[in-house]
Formats: sequence, C-alpha cells, structure tokens
Amino acid sequence: MGFHPPPSRAALEPFATLDPAALAGLPASSPLTVRSAALSAQYLYLGTGGGKLLLFTLDTPSPTFLRILPIGPTRPVSAILPLPSVARVLILADGLLLLADPLLSRPVRRLGSLRNVAAVAARAPDASDLTSCSLAVSVGKKLLLVDLTLHEADELEVQTRDISLVDGVKALAWAGDAVFVGTASGYSLFTTTSQAQGVEIFTLPESSRPPRVKPLSGGEEVMLLVDNVGVVVDRSGHPVGSSFVFNSAPECIAEVFPYIVVAGDSKVDVYRRRNGAHLQTIPHAKAGPGVLIVASNDTRTGGELVVIATAYKVFCYHKVLAVEQIKALLRRKSYGEAISLLQEFEADGEISKDMISFVHAQLGFLMFFDLRFEDAVNHFLLSETMQPAEIFPFIMRDPNHWSDLVPRKRYWGLHAPPKPLEEVIDDGLVTLQQALFLKKAGVDTVVDEDFLSNPPSRADLLELAIRNIIRYLCSCREKSLSSPEMEGVDTLLMYLYRALHLVDDMEKLASCQNSCIVEELESLLDDSGHLRTLAFLYGSKGMCSKALGIWRILARNYSTGLWKDRASLSETDSPESSVDKMSGEEIAAIEASKILQASSDQDLVLEHLGWVADIDPELGAAILTSEMRGKQLSPEKVVAAIDPEKVGIHQRYLQWLIEEQGCDEPHYHTSYALSLAKSAMDVVHSESKYGDKIKKEFDSDVQLIFLLRERLQLFLQASDLYDPEEVLDVISESDLWLEKAILYRKMGQENIVLQILALKLEDSEAAEQYCAEIGRDDAYIQLLDLYLDPKNGKGPMFTAAVRLLHNHGESLDPLQVLERLSADMPLQLASDTILRMLRARVHHHRQGQIVHNLSRSTNLDARLTRLEERSRHVQLTDESICDSCRARLGTKLFVMYPDDSVVCYRCYRNQGDSASGRGHNFRKGGIFKQCWLVSR
Amino acid sequence: MAANAGNKIRNAKLVLLGDVGTGKSSLVLRFVKGQFVEFQESTIGAAFFSQTLAVNDETVKFEIWDTAGQERYHSLAPMYYRGAAAAIVVYDITNAASFTRAKKWVQELQAQGNPNTIMALAGNKADLLEARQVPAEEAKTYAQENGLFFMETSAKAATNVNDVFHEIAKRLLEGQQAQDTQAGMVLNQRPAERMVSSSSCCS
Ligand SMILES: Nc1nc2c(ncn2[C@@H]2O[C@H](COP(=O)(O)OP(=O)(O)OP(=O)(O)O)[C@@H](O)[C@H]2O)c(=O)[nH]1
Ligand SMILES: [Mg+2]
Repeated sequence: MGFHPPPSRAALEPFATLDPAALAGLPASSPLTVRSAALSAQYLYLGTGGGKLLLFTLDTPSPTFLRILPIGPTRPVSAILPLPSVARVLILADGLLLLADPLLSRPVRRLGSLRNVAAVAARAPDASDLTSCSLAVSVGKKLLLVDLTLHEADELEVQTRDISLVDGVKALAWAGDAVFVGTASGYSLFTTTSQAQGVEIFTLPESSRPPRVKPLSGGEEVMLLVDNVGVVVDRSGHPVGSSFVFNSAPECIAEVFPYIVVAGDSKVDVYRRRNGAHLQTIPHAKAGPGVLIVASNDTRTGGELVVIATAYKVFCYHKVLAVEQIKALLRRKSYGEAISLLQEFEADGEISKDMISFVHAQLGFLMFFDLRFEDAVNHFLLSETMQPAEIFPFIMRDPNHWSDLVPRKRYWGLHAPPKPLEEVIDDGLVTLQQALFLKKAGVDTVVDEDFLSNPPSRADLLELAIRNIIRYLCSCREKSLSSPEMEGVDTLLMYLYRALHLVDDMEKLASCQNSCIVEELESLLDDSGHLRTLAFLYGSKGMCSKALGIWRILARNYSTGLWKDRASLSETDSPESSVDKMSGEEIAAIEASKILQASSDQDLVLEHLGWVADIDPELGAAILTSEMRGKQLSPEKVVAAIDPEKVGIHQRYLQWLIEEQGCDEPHYHTSYALSLAKSAMDVVHSESKYGDKIKKEFDSDVQLIFLLRERLQLFLQASDLYDPEEVLDVISESDLWLEKAILYRKMGQENIVLQILALKLEDSEAAEQYCAEIGRDDAYIQLLDLYLDPKNGKGPMFTAAVRLLHNHGESLDPLQVLERLSADMPLQLASDTILRMLRARVHHHRQGQIVHNLSRSTNLDARLTRLEERSRHVQLTDESICDSCRARLGTKLFVMYPDDSVVCYRCYRNQGDSASGRGHNFRKGGIFKQCWLVSR
Repeated sequence: MAANAGNKIRNAKLVLLGDVGTGKSSLVLRFVKGQFVEFQESTIGAAFFSQTLAVNDETVKFEIWDTAGQERYHSLAPMYYRGAAAAIVVYDITNAASFTRAKKWVQELQAQGNPNTIMALAGNKADLLEARQVPAEEAKTYAQENGLFFMETSAKAATNVNDVFHEIAKRLLEGQQAQDTQAGMVLNQRPAERMVSSSSCCS
C-alpha cells in the first residue's frame, strides 16, 4: 500500500497498567487468566478462563475495581458484549449465552435454552432505539436472529427467529441490516430484512487462518480478514478502498477513530483507518498462554480508550489528541512531521477548522523566529483566523498607532512575543552562532541545517523578511478587515515598500484606493524624497491642494532640470534623460489634470490650469471640459482665466459650453463664432502669405483650412444666438463666401445671399434650395433676374436660368417670366425655356386631375362595400342570444355589428355604435375584412 | 438527455486481472500518477484508485481495482470483477505462462462475469522486445476470437497505457449511447453503471 511513515508516532499513550487479580484483592494462590475483555463507556469488563467476570472503572485517576461475578468454574468466558440499549451485558461462555446487569450486581441469567453457541454478534445500536437490540447467533447449523426488547421494570422480551442455515460459523458481525458470516471456507452475507439466501463475498484460500470479521465505523463497513490482509466491504458486501496489509496476522481488532488497533503476536499496531498507514507499534511480552486482546470504547465517535489485555495484565491507553500530537512535534521543532500530521488529521476530519488555522499560525510564528520567513508567511496565509495585526509588532515598535489593535494571543507558548524584525533577526543570528559553536563541539541542535552550512547575512535576512511580510500584507488587503486594521495594513505596507525603495509599488499603492494614514507617512516620504508617492497619496485621500502643490513643484523642477528622481541619481546622464525629463514633466501635468478634472474647487482649478496648460494644452482643455466634477465651474471666471494666447483652449471650452452643456448665452455664442472666424482668417492669411510652400506642408494647410471652415460653417448654420454682424465684420474682407452667405441669411438679406450663392459660388442648386426655403415665388424671380442680368460685367447665365425654369417653372408666373427674358436672349433658348415652363404647368394640372379621380373611385368602392355589409342576411334560431346581456333574442329587435356580434336593441342603445357586443372598440381599432378590399 | 451530456460524469468500475508480476500495478500507476517504479511491490489483497478521463465532452470516472496476481488471493478476484463495467487482463509478453494465465482469466470472466463487461487484453512490458515470448500476432488472433480488444503496452515506456483506458472509456460511452436509444429509462441500474448526472432524472 505504498509509503508507510516510520511508526514513530504516539497515537496512543499509556495511562495505566492494571493487575486484575491484585486489584480485585484475590490471593496469589488463585490466579486469573484473562480470556476476554470489553469496554463500555468508562467500564471495563474482563472475562476469565475460570468463569469469572470482573468489572473495573477507568474514569478515576487510576483504574478502580468494582465487582467480581463468578458464573461457574467450568465456563471460560470467550466473549463479552455490552448491550447498553437493553441495560445488559451478554456473555458467551462455554457455548452458552448469559445475561448480566451492567454493574454485575446480580447473578447471571441464561438467554434462552441455546447450547453450543459458536458465535454471537450484536447489532450496533441505533441512536434512536434506546430499548431494543438485535443479536445474530450461530448455533449448530442455524443462524438465528434474537431480538431483545426492554420493557418496564427491567423486563426483557426475547424473540427468536431463524435467518438461515449455515454450517461451521466461526465469526459473525453486523453491518446495517446485514449479518456477515465467516466460516472456514469463506465469507458470506445474510440480510435480516428479507429471507433471502446468503450471498457469498469471497472464499478463503487453502489453509488460511480462521475467519475474522470486524464491524467498522459503527457498522457502516466490515473488515474481513484473510491472513494478514483486511478487506473492507460496505453493507452490501462491495469492496471499499484498498486492502489493509497488517504486519502480522491479527488476533483481535479494535477501532478508535481515526485509528485501527490490531493485536498480533506479542505486539499491538496502530494503523490509520483512512489509508491503512502504519503509525505505531506497542510491543507486549506475551505473558503466558492466551492471546492479546484489544478492546475500545469506540461508540461511533467520542471513543478514546483502548485496553490491551494479556493473560495477567491489562494495559490501558488513551488516544493522544491530535493537537497534543502536533504540539509535541512542534516542541521538538519537527515542523515537517507536524505539517504532515496536520494534513492527515485534516483529511480524517479529526481536527476542527479553527484548530487547523491556529496550528498554521503557530507554525508561522515558530518559523518566523527561526528566520524561515518565507515558510512562516506561507503558514500565516494558510491560517484563516490569524489577524493581520498580529504581525504589526514585527514591523513597528511599540507603542504605536496600532498597539491597541494587536491581539494578545499566546498560542502554545512556544515562541516569544513578536518584536521588531531587526531584533528577531539579531536574536536569531545569535542562536545560529551558538548552534554553530555547539555543532563544532559535537552537540546536536534543532537549528535548520541549511542555515548552519550557509549562514545568511543580516541584510539578506532583513530584506527577505520584509519581502515576505509585504506578501502577507498584500494578501490581507484582499480580505474584509475592520477599518483600523485596513489602515494598519496599508500604512505598514507603504512603510515596508519604502524600506526596500520599491518606488513603483509605493506609487501604485498610493494612487489606488487605499487606507494609508497620511499623517503617519507624510514626513517620512517627504524626508526620503518620495514626493511622487506623497503626491499620489494626497491625491487618493482627496487632499487635492497639497497634491497639486507637489505636482507643480515636480513639473517646474523637471523642466528646469533641477530635480531628479532619487532612483536615477546613480545613473549618469544618458541620452534618455531628456526623454525622461520630458515625460516627467508631462506625467506631473497628467496627474495634476486628473485631480483637477474631478475637482469642483474653482479657485484651485483656475490656479493650476495655467501651468498644466503650458505643458500640454490638451490637458488644459480636458480640465475645463471635464464632466467628472460635481459642481460646474463658472463660465465667466473660466473665460476670464484662460490665457488669451491659448486660443485652442478658449475655443474648446466655448465649444464644449455651447455644444455639450447647451449654453444659450448669446455672448458666448458670439465669442465662439468670432474666435472661429479669426482662426479661419489667420490660417487663410498665412496660407496666402507663403505661396511657395513645399507640397506636403501645403496639403496639411489645405486640410486645416478645410476643417476650420467646416467647423465655422457648421456653427454659423446651427446657432441662432450669435451676432452675425460682428462676425461679418471679421470676415468681410475675405473670400469666405459661404460663411458670408450664411451670415447674410441669418440677417435676412435674401438678395445678397442669392447673389453670393448664384454668382460668387455659382452653386445654383444651393441657390434654388434657398429659394425653396424662403418659400415665396418672388424668390425664384429674384434668382432668375440674377441669372439673366448678373451685372458687374458678367454675361447672362442662360443655362442656369433654363434649369431654374425647368425645375420650378410651374410655380412661376409666366407673365413675369416673359417680362424678364431679355431681348438678346437667343430665340431657341427662349422658346425652349417658355415651352418647358408651360409644359410643366400643364403636367402639374393633369397630375392633380388624376389624383382627384383616383380618390373618387376609392370613395365609390368604399360606399359599395358599406352597402353590402348593411344588406347582409342573418339567421336567428331559438338559441340565438344577445352577445351582451345573454338574453334570448326571440323576436326582439336586434343589431349586428361589423364584427358579426349580435345584440338586442336595448343593449345596443346602452352600448352605442363604437363598441360591439363582443367588446370590440371600433374607436380604438377598426375592423377590416378581406372582402372589403378594393379589388376593382 | 443529449443536452446535458457535457456535465455528466459516468462512474465505471474497472478491474485489472493477470498473473503475478505482469505489471498491473505499474499500468495503473502510470495511468493515475504518470509514474513508474522499477521495484514495484507485489500487490496484496487489492489496491483501489480512481481517475477521471474526459472523452469528447463527457467524463468517465474510473474506479480502478488493481488485484493481486498471487494465486493465494485468487479467491478474492470475483468480489472485484463482480459488476465491473470493464476489465483489463494483463500478461507479460516476455512470459508465455502469463499469457496462458491471461486466457484462464478471460475464460473465468466469460463464465462468471457480467456479459456486458468490456474486456481488454494488454500485453505488457512491450519495451522488452528482445525477451519476447508471446508473438503479438498470436495474442491478436486470440483477442479477435474472443471479442476482446488488444494492445501491447509498456508501463515503463508509457506506450499505449493511456490509450487502453481511453479506448475503454470510449467504448463505455458508445455502449451507453446504444442503451440510451434502446430504452427510455433504465430502472434497474447495475452498481457498475451508476450515473451521476447533474440535472437529468432519467439518463
Ligand atoms: N520493463 C518493464 N518492466 C515492467 C513493466 N511493467 C512492470 N514492470 C516491472 O514488472 C514488475 C512487476 O510489476 P507490478 O506492476 O508489480 O506487477 P503486478 O502485475 O502488479 O504484480 P502483482 O501485484 O504481484 O500481481 C516490477 O518490477 C515492474 O517494475 C514494463 O512495461 N516494462
Ligand atoms: Mg500489483
């Protein structure tokens, strides 16, 4: 069965040795030979070869003799079965079954008239059944079931029935309803609930030892023995788990959870029930004849006594508690063994969850003081009950902010109270020195071999310890802790990060959601120059002004090259340093902007806006247009605060104010429009100034102009709140015609708009569109005028004019048109134009007629259908009833709705036209029948 | 039934039988722990292991009984192969007697065991080719005649070990499907074919 740990464990521990004869005060001339033994609760029964029963109690400091009961000198007692549920003790002696009372105070009585009983077994008592008990008895070829029931006045009712016929029974055991029978040839199983034939489990090999069966786990399972092999089967005889392989063929087996105790020749072995591992050997000189007997008081749970009886002596053992076994190992610093024992107990369910956590914490502390920091923290982490504050004293000297938080747990008193790390290490090193010295002198020590052969340096140990405590604290952060604990964890974590100069970790902790206590760290971080960390910390704690102050200093120092990161002090100036400087400055601005974006403190925002925007205008804009703040900034103050040089920020802010915030103050609209217009003018000018630019630059300029103008145009179109005249002033000298058109339009200068569109931009489509928007016929005439007489030396634009007439001729008065047509218009064009116009009018008229006629046809159809609906025939029978009041219609006047429901006239009067008898509401949903479709 | 086939775990009792020293324990050790030890102790009684194997989207949990080859424990074998869904009969290709013994096991299984048991014949120690006593052809023919599936394996070299178990799992599931389509509900479940299903009541 694989690996057996050396049987060095003390699972059972002796607590008394008992000389039955001497205790019972019998003279040395009449010796006792113990043949059988049984434990029931604290009572020990012994049966002797000379037909005596003895009772002892084991619960006093030393075993006490209670009573001796002779049952007849020729009746050697071969088995004792305490039956607590019927307040009896069953004795098998010389093939007879005898009953005694539990305290052996009365003479024994025979149970029935059975003789030559070969074996007997009692069913494990049901927890619920307190007054009865079943026995399986083998007599001759018969297997009998004997039911005992206890009645009032200690009256015992006995019922016997046959189970089956089996010859040569040597061993019996109960498991549930099943009786397991061992004969010389093998094992079989009989159920007592049905009269079924026995089921063979397996046969025994030739010349094997006599069969033995032992119920385990209070009758859940049974162990069947083949030589030194124990096969465990369940209540239905199916094998369960690997076989037990015992060191020697067992004479007797007892179970004390989680162990199996086996008596063999001259020794008793203890095995683990779960996996059959051999744990302990208790040697016993076999004194005289007879066998070793083990008995336990295992009543499913709670049993913890084992007696080992030899012919003349009884040795009493009790189970060593799991924690005691572990404690003993820890006292010897056998950590490895203690851990594997802990795991075994854990798997057995022998030790509570809390105790497991307790042991892990205890192990952790012991290892910590042994300078095995990594293992120590691993165990701390395995402990669910350990509180983070327990390790605070390792980090910070008492008294401190958290002194009151530290629980005063002593554990098993195996280690000193926690003290600052440096002291732990110094003391540990001293111990190590002593151990080295002792080792040279040839004395064994319990100090770690690794340390002895390779003594660690103080600095290494300190770093290792800190790193591991950091690991512990980090994992504590994931737990749900009280807020003072959380504060301790985070603050001390920062403290430890700083000790190891873990700048990244410091900054990460400071910038995330944390419970650091700023006052504890402020001066510390300032002194050591961890300004960024401090700034992050202020930021995360909402101390914005302080944080911003630091970021501003950092940004300034970066840019003037005065300030350098501590960490990079050692590095010489590399080509990267300028990049570093740049990014350092930028990072300061980014961090500051993060704070500012969320801040509603107007003065603070405006105070810092400047320097951030100097570094990165984008950030400046982002700060102003942020929607993260609870209270918006006053636009007035903001606009006043923005540096007039920073046109971009100004524009972005106004755009945001207008487009995102829906601001409708005309003066911001005007400012925005003016600002955009000026920008557009600026780029247009600069473009025209440098006529000969290289192509690429030129392209990007064109792009820029396009984008800027697009923005300007869109805004000018969209807003009605700005002052167009002011804007017009700015662009009047330029070629921004479309913009001008938009502005004039806003001002209602239709003719100028048309002039610009039709003549300057030659966008006849836009011009016609504008006419349509104006919506008056005279607009088209105005446009026609412009086309035919553009003035300013331009010739008439006949094509555009013809197009106009073609598209909108029908809405123009022909007379007016004719008037405008100039004399010098080519005849062909003119006739064409007029023809189109007239045709368009006729076409328009005809279209109207068609629509009119179609509508009439539909109307006719609908009337016809209505008529058909009204002239429908309806048949009424005697059964016909009103759909509303359910009364017979008979000869009454009735009404039928379009949904075919029929109601009597009275209901119709009540209901009216709009709701039918079936509840259909014609106002809400019309009714539609396929046949009503206009098909013709 | 098919809808939740993915989260069904099928328990299957599997027994290894064969002469002493043929490598039954070694095969199981290889399959369950991926290990091999040169000096494997002879099994006494029987050893129990369990291992799950995923086939497509189904999972088979093997409850493996590694029996002792020693003749003394022969009488225990029926207890272990009773109700087994699968049996692997192992012989040692370097030992002709072990092949004879394997045939006896097959006979016994055919006579005593469950007719539905899937039987595999494993010719183990296939790494020891130079010492071969049992020709692969002979074993193959025998296996075909007796409806077993056959593989030469080596627990030492890890050849075909997982394949044998995998093939068994596959056949188990195929057999299960055939049964599924035959009968709507199996009222009387044999112990070796307990179904553990997370949601369906009839599997
Ligand atoms: N070369 C080689 N040796 C093997 C192989 N498999 C097992 N062995 C060796 O054969 C010996 C017996 O192997 P076991 O696995 O104990 O055989 P078993 O069938 O379990 O034997 P019993 O438990 O006594 O029935 C061991 O020394 C193994 O190392 C294999 O594939 N190749
Ligand atoms: Mg084996």
